[in-house]
Amino acid sequence: MTPEQVLKKAYASHEKVTISFSGAEDVILIDMACNFCEQLFVFSLDTGRLHPETYRFIEDIRNHYGIEIDVLSPDNKLLNGFVKDKGLFSFYQDGHSECCSVRKIEPLEKHLVHYDAWITGQRKDQSPTRSDLPQEQIDSAFSNEYRKLKKYNPLANWTSDQVWEYIKNNNVPYNPLHDGGYKSIGCQPCTRPTKPEEHERAGRWWWEEETKRECGLHIINIEE
Amino acid sequence: MKITLVKKILASGKLCPKCEDVLDRLEKTDQMSFIDQVLIADERDPESEGLRLAKKLGVERAPFFVVEDGGDLKIYTVYFKFAKEVLSNETTELEKSKEILKDNIDLDYI
Repeated sequence: MTPEQVLKKAYASHEKVTISFSGAEDVILIDMACNFCEQLFVFSLDTGRLHPETYRFIEDIRNHYGIEIDVLSPDNKLLNGFVKDKGLFSFYQDGHSECCSVRKIEPLEKHLVHYDAWITGQRKDQSPTRSDLPQEQIDSAFSNEYRKLKKYNPLANWTSDQVWEYIKNNNVPYNPLHDGGYKSIGCQPCTRPTKPEEHERAGRWWWEEETKRECGLHIINIEE
Repeated sequence: MKITLVKKILASGKLCPKCEDVLDRLEKTDQMSFIDQVLIADERDPESEGLRLAKKLGVERAPFFVVEDGGDLKIYTVYFKFAKEVLSNETTELEKSKEILKDNIDLDYI
């Protein structure tokens, strides 16, 4: 399916759908959805550590498309405890996981409780761990026995080049950090520009070693 | 109530890091005594009890817990959920979020 078809399917299949907007090239999801959907629910995770350019870009998109964007902040108590305990740059010492958990995962989980489905800009070509990313899936991270949350990844099969072709062909606004060599845009302390030959993942958490965390059960290998 | 824990052995022969972490937590909180049986899902052995049970129940993550209570059967692939619901163990939001991220490593890239 094309990304537009996946988006349309998401909106046709669920009553409450929200788009995740990171302030980067996933803006094209908003552009596509605006073509057929009158009321979009869009959210951005404001970790408190984004680039000034990203905050400005989120505001530009709000105005450009005339949409509301839920800018989600971390839980104050949780964040205060974390910063008091670990300081503001602990991720350089013990990894980004805890900081991302406080600033992204906890608010994301709280927000998604209100929706039946969410849409992300994740793509297979962003990371080796996304090589089997489907266009739609049950989100195992936030589903439980009482509630199945659907996750749509309309851009799963698109390459970065296709995304940028769409941006250029449709005059979609984009984060100016991309012009400065940022292929991937996250929090300011954890993001850096990359060289043309480098993979975009190299621009994130570059001080951490790539560790393989494989805990899936390869049931497919079990003989019948 | 019968509680089964399935842990995974990687092709390298080592325990998977997530299983190691969960077992460590169970030991530190003296909760291993609540686990009635531990099965091994060995990547090198498709016939291993843990792999067969995973296939039967359609579970694709390790470790996981199977709780049989009367005729009811519940499966938990998130340790903190299991600890909270079955062992009535208090978990913090941060611990829960960290585990979600550990299980879904691409969520940091949202």
